[in-house]
Amino acid sequence: MASIDHDAALARAGANVTGSWSQAAHLARRYPLGAVGGIIVIVFVLTAAFANVIAPIDPLSTNSKASLAAPGGTFWLGADFMGRDMFSRIVYGARISLAVAAGATALGFAAGIVIGLASGFLGGWFDLAMQRLMDIMQALPLLVLALVMAASLGPSLENTIIAISVALVPNVARVVRSSTLSLREQPFVEAARAVGMGEVRIAVRHVLPNTMAPLIVLATAQLGSAILTEASLSFLGLGIPEPYPSWGRMLSESAAEYVRTAPWLVVFPGVAISLTVFGTNLLGDALRDIFDPRERT
Amino acid sequence: MRKSLAIVAGMIAAVAVAGPAFAQKQGGTLKVTHRDNPPSASIHEEATISTIMPFMPVFNNLVVFDPKDKINSPDNIVPDLAESWSWNADRTKLTFKLRSGVKWHDGKPFSADDVKCTFDALIGKDDKTKDLIRKNPRQVWYMNLKETTVGSPTEVTFHLGRPQPSFLSMLASGYTPVYSCHVDGRAMRSKPIGTGPFKVVDFKRNESIKLVRNADYWKKGLPYLDGIEFKIVPNRSTRVLGFVAGEFDLTFDSDITFPLLKDVKSQAPSAVCIARPQNVRSNLIVNREKEPFDNPRIREALVLAIDRKPFSDILAQGNDLVGAAMQPPPAGVWGMSSEELAKLPGYGPDTAKNVADAQKIMQSLGYGPDKPLKVKVATRNIAIYRDPAVILIDQLKKIYIDGELDPIDTTVWFTRVQQKNYQIGLNLTGAGVDDPDVMFFENFYSTSSRNYTGYSNPEVDKLIVQQSSEADKAKRMKLVAEIETILNKDAARPTILHNVANTCMQSFVKGLTLQDNSIYNGWRFESAWLDK
Amino acid sequence: MGAYLTRRVLLMILTLFGMSVLIFVMLRLVPGNIADILVDSAGIVSADEKAKIVGELGLDRPIFEQYLQWIGGLFRGDLGFAYVSERPAIEEIAPRIPVSAKLALLALIYSVILGVPLGVISAVRQNTGLDYFLRVMSLSGLSLPSFWLALLILMASVQWFGVIPIYTNEPRSLLDEMLLLSVPAAAVGFRSSALIMRLTRSSMLEVLRQDYIRTARSKGASQTAVNYQHALRNALLPVVTIIGIEAAFLIGGLIVTETVFNIPGVARFLVEAILWRDYPIVQNLVMLIAFIVVTVNFLVDMAYMALDPRIKYAD
Repeated sequence: MASIDHDAALARAGANVTGSWSQAAHLARRYPLGAVGGIIVIVFVLTAAFANVIAPIDPLSTNSKASLAAPGGTFWLGADFMGRDMFSRIVYGARISLAVAAGATALGFAAGIVIGLASGFLGGWFDLAMQRLMDIMQALPLLVLALVMAASLGPSLENTIIAISVALVPNVARVVRSSTLSLREQPFVEAARAVGMGEVRIAVRHVLPNTMAPLIVLATAQLGSAILTEASLSFLGLGIPEPYPSWGRMLSESAAEYVRTAPWLVVFPGVAISLTVFGTNLLGDALRDIFDPRERT
Repeated sequence: MRKSLAIVAGMIAAVAVAGPAFAQKQGGTLKVTHRDNPPSASIHEEATISTIMPFMPVFNNLVVFDPKDKINSPDNIVPDLAESWSWNADRTKLTFKLRSGVKWHDGKPFSADDVKCTFDALIGKDDKTKDLIRKNPRQVWYMNLKETTVGSPTEVTFHLGRPQPSFLSMLASGYTPVYSCHVDGRAMRSKPIGTGPFKVVDFKRNESIKLVRNADYWKKGLPYLDGIEFKIVPNRSTRVLGFVAGEFDLTFDSDITFPLLKDVKSQAPSAVCIARPQNVRSNLIVNREKEPFDNPRIREALVLAIDRKPFSDILAQGNDLVGAAMQPPPAGVWGMSSEELAKLPGYGPDTAKNVADAQKIMQSLGYGPDKPLKVKVATRNIAIYRDPAVILIDQLKKIYIDGELDPIDTTVWFTRVQQKNYQIGLNLTGAGVDDPDVMFFENFYSTSSRNYTGYSNPEVDKLIVQQSSEADKAKRMKLVAEIETILNKDAARPTILHNVANTCMQSFVKGLTLQDNSIYNGWRFESAWLDK
Repeated sequence: MGAYLTRRVLLMILTLFGMSVLIFVMLRLVPGNIADILVDSAGIVSADEKAKIVGELGLDRPIFEQYLQWIGGLFRGDLGFAYVSERPAIEEIAPRIPVSAKLALLALIYSVILGVPLGVISAVRQNTGLDYFLRVMSLSGLSLPSFWLALLILMASVQWFGVIPIYTNEPRSLLDEMLLLSVPAAAVGFRSSALIMRLTRSSMLEVLRQDYIRTARSKGASQTAVNYQHALRNALLPVVTIIGIEAAFLIGGLIVTETVFNIPGVARFLVEAILWRDYPIVQNLVMLIAFIVVTVNFLVDMAYMALDPRIKYAD
C-alpha cells in the first residue's frame, strides 16, 4: 500500500483512536504546542467571521475628538490619528488577513496543483516548460516577486491576493509534481489505467488525494508567510490601500510616526500579526509531525 | 522712467549684510532632513518643495522677496542679481540693471545673456538644441512675456504684452532662479551650476544632497555656513526620531504636523518649532461633466456639506486655516476677511444648518438615508491626500452620499483627473507665490496646463485678466473677492482648508527666517549660521 | 559529472534569460511610466512634454527592440542610463551593493551564531522544557514581521540610549559601519536564526537516530562526545547548505529593514525604483537578485554533491 493513509497516520500519532473528540483531545495532549496553535487559528477565523458582531465601532468612522486617544474607556486599544477605534480596526483587520491568507493560499495551491499534476502526468515538453517557468519564479525571493507583481497590478485587496498567490505557486507545483511522478507508476494507478480510466480522472480521483498530506502541511506553513508578505507589502505601500484596516498598513506611515506618543498604534497590530502567524506556524509544525513523521521536529 | 523705491531698501539691506557681522559665527555644516528624493535638481522643471528647499541656495534670482521678512508681498521685493529695475511709462517694459563681476560656480562670468537664455527657455523661444529645460510647469506665469532683450552685458529688458504688476512678484519667487547659457538641461537636473551662495558637491539619489560654501560668492562674507547636507529619509518616523536624537539641525519644511509636535517638544525641549501656513490648500475636485455631479444642485449640496472644523481638529489639532482659494489674512496678502468668507455657501458658522440645507437638496433629488448616492472618492495614494479624503467620506455620509475611497497611484493621478476619469476627488494645491495671478492663472484660467480639472468660465477668464492688469491694490482685491465668490458658487475646486504645519530646528540654528505665505521662497540659506 | 555540470549551467542561463523576459514584460504592464511620473511631479498635464520625454528615453519604440537594446548592453557590461538621475545605472547600483552585502553578511553571522548552537541544544535536550522554550522562541522569530521588530528596536534605542541607529552620515571607518549595521542586522538575523535553528535541530535529530551514532554509543563513547563530534559534524552538512539558501531568503528581509533604518542599500533602492518606474534600475536589480539566488542554489547543489557521497548524479 503505497498511498498515505490518513487514518493510519493519525493512528500512528495516537493509539486507540475512537471518536473525533477524544481523538482531538488525544492529539492535543500529544502535541500541546499544536493545540495552542489550533486554538489561535480558530480564534482568528472566528474573529474574522464575526467581525461585525465583535467590533463595537465602525472601523472606518473618524472622530475628531478621539485623535490618538489612549487605550481605555470607549477605545479599548486606543484610537488612531483619525480617531478610528483600534480594537475595531484590528478585529476587521482579521478579515483582511484571513482573506489574503486563505485567498492567496487557495489560489496559489489551485494553480500549483493543476500545474504540478499536469507536469507529472503529461511529462514531455509541457513538463519541461513548466519546470523552467517554476525555476524562473523561484529565482526571486517571495517578497521581491510579490513586490514586482503588486506594483504591476496596483494596490487593492484582489491584486494583493493574486500577487502573493503567484509567489506561492512554484513550491506547490514542485511538491505535487514529484508525488505525481512517484504515484503514477504505482500498482493502483496502473490498475485504474488498466480498467480504462481516463488520465484526468486518475489524476483527480487517485493521485491528488494521495498528495494531500504534504500539501496540507505546506498550506499551513504558507498561510503564515502569506500573512507576513501582505503585511510587508502594505507596510511598503504596495498592498492593501486605505481605508481598509489591514494590519500591515496600520503599521506603516502615519502609525509609525506616533511610535512614542501613541505606541498602541504600533504595538497592537504588530501583536495581532505575530500572534496569528505564530498560531499557524505552531499548527503547521504539529500537522507535519502527524502526517510526515520522518521530518519530525 | 520711474525708479522703484525698493532699490533704496535693497541697498540698505546689502550694506547691512556686507558690513562686519560680529554676532554671526562662520563655519559648520547644517544638517537637514529631506522627505523624499527630489525628481530632479532643476528648479524650473519642478513644482515641489522637495527640489526648491535643497537647490534654492545654489542660485540667485534677478530679484527676491526680502529673505528677512516673514511676508512675501509686492512691497518687499529686494535686488538679487539685479541692482535695480525700472518700468517704462505704459508699464509693459521692465528693465533690469545687473550686477557685474558675478561668476558662475564653474568660474565663467555671469551676464545678461544668461538671463535671456533662462527666460527664452521658459517661453519656449530658446535654441532647442540647448535643451535647458524639458518640462515647464510654470508656463502660465510667463504667458504675458513676449520677449527678453539684452541691452548690454549688464542690462536686460522684459517686454510684456500688457501691464502686469505681479510679474515682478513671480520673478522674486524661489521658483525663478537665473540659469546659465552654457550648462545643459541634463546637468541642471543632476548637478546644477548657479551663482548662489552654495555649490552642489553631490546629489546622491535617495541618499543625500551635499552643498558646500561658494567662497567666491558675490556677497562678500556670505554665506556663513561651510556647507549644507540634506539627508533623504523617506520614512517620517525615522526622520523625526533622527531629529529628536540630535542627528539633524533642521527638519524638512513643514514636516512636523501638530500631532507630531507634542512628541518633538517632549523629546527635544530645546528645539525651536515654528508653525506657519504653507500656502498649500486641500480642495475638492468635482467632475462636472459626468453623472451625478453634472447636476449643479448636487454640487451645491457638496459645498454646503464640508464641515471644516473636524478636518482641522484631526489633521492639525485645530490649527489649519479657513479660507477660499487665496491664503487668508493675516499671513495671506490677498485672501478674503473672515466676515466676507462667512457669506460664502458652506462657510457660515452654523454647520448644522448648512448640513440640513444640503440634506434638503439631496432629498429633493430623491436621495435619503435608505437610498444613498454611491460615489467613489478619488485621491492620490499618499498619506497627506488620503487622510483628509477619509474624513471627507465620513462627512459625506451625513448628506446621504456613500463614498468609497479610490486611492490612485501617484504616477497617474493627474492623468486620471485630466481624463475626467473620476467622480469627486480630494486634491492638494500649493501656490508658489501668494499672488492672485499665480493662483488664478494656474488653476482656473481655461487654457492653463495646470488647470487639470478643465474648469472653463469665460466670465472668470475675463475677471482674471482684469485683476492681473489692475495696478491699484484695493481695486484688485475687490476683483479677487469677486472671482473667489464665483469659484465657490461653481464648486470649482472648493477649498477645504489651508494647511499649517511646523518646521523645527535646534536652538543653535540662527539667521533663518521662515516665510508665512509661501514655503517656496525663503531657502537661500545665505545668512544662516550655527551658534555653537 | 561533467555532463551534469554543463546541464546545470545551461539551465541557470535559461532561467536568467526567462527572468529577463518576465521582468521586462511585467514592468511594462505597470500602470504609468517614468514620463507620467516626471510630468506629474511637476504638477502639470502636458501631453507634449510627456511625449518628448517618452521619445527621449526611447519608450515609444517596439518593446522587442527595447529588450534587445537592454540585453545587448548587459552583455557589453552596459546597464543603461537610470531614468531619474540620468546617470549610468551602474553608477547608481554599484555603490549600494557593498552596503547591502555587509548587512546581509552580518545578519548571516548573527543567525548562524544564534541558530546553530541553539538548534543543537534543542535537539540534544529533545522534549525537555528547554527544548520547548527554544522551539517557541524560534517559531516566534519566524512569526514577527521583520519591519515591526525593526520599528521596536528603533523605538527602544532612542528611548533608552538616546541614539538612533540610522545611517545619517557616512560611517568614518569599517568598524563604525559595522557597529551601525549591527542593529538592523540583528532585526534581519533574528528571523533567519529561527529558521537555521529549526533546521539544525531537525537534521541533528535525524543524525542522532542514525545507526553509526548508536554504534558509537554502544562502543562506549561518552554522550557529549557523540553529540558534538559525530552527530553535529554530520548534521552540519545539510545545515551548511541551508545557510547558503538563507542568503537568498535574507534579501526579502533586507527590503523592509533597509527602509526602516534608512540604509542606502540595493534592497530599498529596488522599492524606490519600482515606485519611480525607473526600468533600467529595476530590471538590472532584479537580474542581480536572480543571479545571486541562482548561483547560490548552484553552489548549494555542488556542496551537497561534494559533502554527501550518497548523492549520485547520473546523466
